[in-house]
Amino acid sequence: MEQIIANGLYLGAQYALIALGLTLIFSLMNVLNFAHGQMYVFGGFVTYTVVAQFKLPFVVGLLASAVVLAVMGALIEKFLFRPVIRKSKRDESTMLLAAGIAFFLDAVILLLFGEKQRGVPKIVNGVFNWDMRIIMPYDRILIGLLAIALIVAFILFMQYSRTGRAMRALAQDRVAAELMGVDVDRYSMIGFALGAMLAGLVGGLLVTITGVNLGMGGPTSIKAFLMIMIGGAGVISGAIAGGFILGMMESVGLTVLAAYGDVTYLAIFAALMIFLAIRPQGLMGKPWG
Amino acid sequence: MTAPILEIKHVTKRYGGLTANNDVSFDVAPREILSVIGPNGAGKSTLFKQIAGFVNPTSGEVTFKGSRISGLPPHKVARLGVVRTFQETTIFKSMTVRENVIVAHHLRSRASLLGFFFGTRQAQSDEADFARSADDIIGFLGLDAIRDEMASNLPQGHLRALGMAIGLATQPEVILLDEPFAGMNHDETMRMVGLVRRLRDERGLTVLLVEHDMPAVMKISDRIVCINFGEKIAEGTPAEIQANPRVIEAYLGSEDAAIGV
Amino acid sequence: MTPVRLLGIGAFLIGVFVLVPLFIRLSGRWDLYYTLTSVALLSVGAAGVWLTFYIGRINIGQGAYALLGGYVSAILVTQWGVSFWLTLPLAALTCSAVSVLIGLPILRLRGVYFAMVTLVLTEVARLTALALPITNGAKGITSIPLPGKLSIFGLTLIPDFATLENPKLAFYLMAAVLMVLTYLVLWRMVNSRLGHLCRSLQQNEELSASIGVNTAMLRVLAYAISSFFGGLAGAMFVAISQSIYPSSFAVSDSVNFMLYCFLGGLGYVFGPLLGTLLLYFGWDLLSVAKEYQLLIYSGAMIILMLVLPNGVLSLLDRKGGQK
Repeated sequence: MEQIIANGLYLGAQYALIALGLTLIFSLMNVLNFAHGQMYVFGGFVTYTVVAQFKLPFVVGLLASAVVLAVMGALIEKFLFRPVIRKSKRDESTMLLAAGIAFFLDAVILLLFGEKQRGVPKIVNGVFNWDMRIIMPYDRILIGLLAIALIVAFILFMQYSRTGRAMRALAQDRVAAELMGVDVDRYSMIGFALGAMLAGLVGGLLVTITGVNLGMGGPTSIKAFLMIMIGGAGVISGAIAGGFILGMMESVGLTVLAAYGDVTYLAIFAALMIFLAIRPQGLMGKPWG
Repeated sequence: MTAPILEIKHVTKRYGGLTANNDVSFDVAPREILSVIGPNGAGKSTLFKQIAGFVNPTSGEVTFKGSRISGLPPHKVARLGVVRTFQETTIFKSMTVRENVIVAHHLRSRASLLGFFFGTRQAQSDEADFARSADDIIGFLGLDAIRDEMASNLPQGHLRALGMAIGLATQPEVILLDEPFAGMNHDETMRMVGLVRRLRDERGLTVLLVEHDMPAVMKISDRIVCINFGEKIAEGTPAEIQANPRVIEAYLGSEDAAIGV
Repeated sequence: MTPVRLLGIGAFLIGVFVLVPLFIRLSGRWDLYYTLTSVALLSVGAAGVWLTFYIGRINIGQGAYALLGGYVSAILVTQWGVSFWLTLPLAALTCSAVSVLIGLPILRLRGVYFAMVTLVLTEVARLTALALPITNGAKGITSIPLPGKLSIFGLTLIPDFATLENPKLAFYLMAAVLMVLTYLVLWRMVNSRLGHLCRSLQQNEELSASIGVNTAMLRVLAYAISSFFGGLAGAMFVAISQSIYPSSFAVSDSVNFMLYCFLGGLGYVFGPLLGTLLLYFGWDLLSVAKEYQLLIYSGAMIILMLVLPNGVLSLLDRKGGQK
């Protein structure tokens, strides 16, 4: 029992971090970032390159992932999303663009890093064992705690910093924010960069444990969509709740349903469908996003 | 007095702890122009939505010609003959004016959707009827000059007339107009007042409207119902309403436009 | 119908049924048949996705229905010995029926929510296929016999594919006929009252309801037709590849269906057809670029989006004004 909860918390912390970036981008620009999973994978590969190839400390790798992805996010927003949003007749056009970017990042990852599964050596050794009730390697605990620290930092940033407040105003009402003198273009760009950076950071964290490979992008995006649907799209608390709920469900499902083969996700999806039929806006979302 | 066409009976609507309408009752006679007035947030729009089937009352009911329409979905209410126009300029944006009106003739189709697909004779005659009727309505509302304009390119005043044209296309018996004069200057308002009168006089409609513009309301209405804080506080002819101390109090107590002609 | 349009349609039909086979015979590029057959079938699925766009919903779940249609046909053919030609409509109808059940709750969702749920639906379909015994799990269903003879009152309409010396050509013609019929239906639908009502739904659901349109019913109807096309495409694909696996139609296929529609243009009936042709054919042609294939392909897609955010067919608008 305790083991399941511990696993759920560990998974949930990472998931919440991924969902936060996605929901931030969605709330600011009404863009569903299909490339989020690819950004996560890219972040993982950057850390891998810095740590395993250049033999630099892990912290440097993590910082490099954050910086590279933030710059990438800013550029994507400025040169791709902004012009398309301005010119297109329907909001949905950004979806094609996002999907195109997802493919493009896949191609870049393939060319730069190859198809192989990559990982870096454990950053700490040893296994935590509490009376055989909770068994968890120390590196997982460390990564889980780091993820939670990042979530807390993100919330504090959004609550108290000037930039965070401006972005929240923007998310609530674009027109009103513009009237209040918020530089919409600038904060959209910062928001996108921040969202991408979060994805990159999670990639950097997880490369130490599960490693990364090219094929992980798409499934990660889907999981992230699930989380923000559970919690409600565009809401920070919803993304965190969605992340932890999915992590918990996965952890419980993998234990309880293990006997029936790989039906955990089927059960989660079915539950989600029923949940959304009853509550379309998710746990904490505004009606119709 | 003839039997009422529309009866609002003890309608109450609560949202959580908030009461939008509390035990509102009144009747509407056939071919009457009745206005519902009240300060902002008094619950006029909520009442309208309940009559048109967009919101279900918490308790009480609305009947049309004796049968209950509250609680039915909007398309069924429309089918029976009670149709609303919208406060916002709600139209089909990327259709022309004429397409807007033609598509709104949906309720009058006698051919099935499959019939339309195969272009049966019934469907063709329906289409011809719709086109004729649409042109008729467009003429009635004086929109001839802009009939082939994209609706998204129209100025405010025309949009409202188009909204009315869409409502008329369903051949309603009762039409609910949600703030038809909002944002109009004096001349436009007077033109619209004339138009609403003609809906009744030439097309035999019963008109129920929600409005802020007091001079227009006084001019146009046969009777007026005044709502404040979700409750009906007065009902009567324009002259009676103007002299009613509770109405005056309601309006003085708010920042709304002063009452009077 | 204007003479110009009739001429265009005639040219298109001659191109599809005469010129393409002629060109392939002369050039000896038999492999093109497979590509073009795929284009034709994918465009049938894309037509369905386009229809859901037409009622204002972003559908990224067509892969689920293609997979379902494929499995229904495969199971009926291999386990019950039903003729393929009968399973084709059955598969499509099954998809419609299932889509009604699924659509009733989820079509209440709008915008990104609907898009995400349909995306998840594709994944659900794949996992279900993996989990169920009847679909044979990850091993899938293989060695499905080629379509047999179709005859009515002793008159052979379609010969047994196994006896043909060139089944590739037969499949191509079959797929092309299916495509032409699909687009004929779609075109007729969009230009009849049903299409006008769908358009009213896309532009304003509340107003649509207030003029007496049963919006819930219409949404489900459009979705059911959309899924019908998906099932049709899926069943046909399975007949060609003679096998089906849970991964035969995955999330990427669902996304691709949506991309075909976007690229061609959401406002044009033939948009998905053009989009499928450009993207699928483009992808195929780019295989000469080897490891740079995906890079060039996705790069081109992004550039197209920047230049023509409303689809390739919006070029027509710029030249000819409003349609």
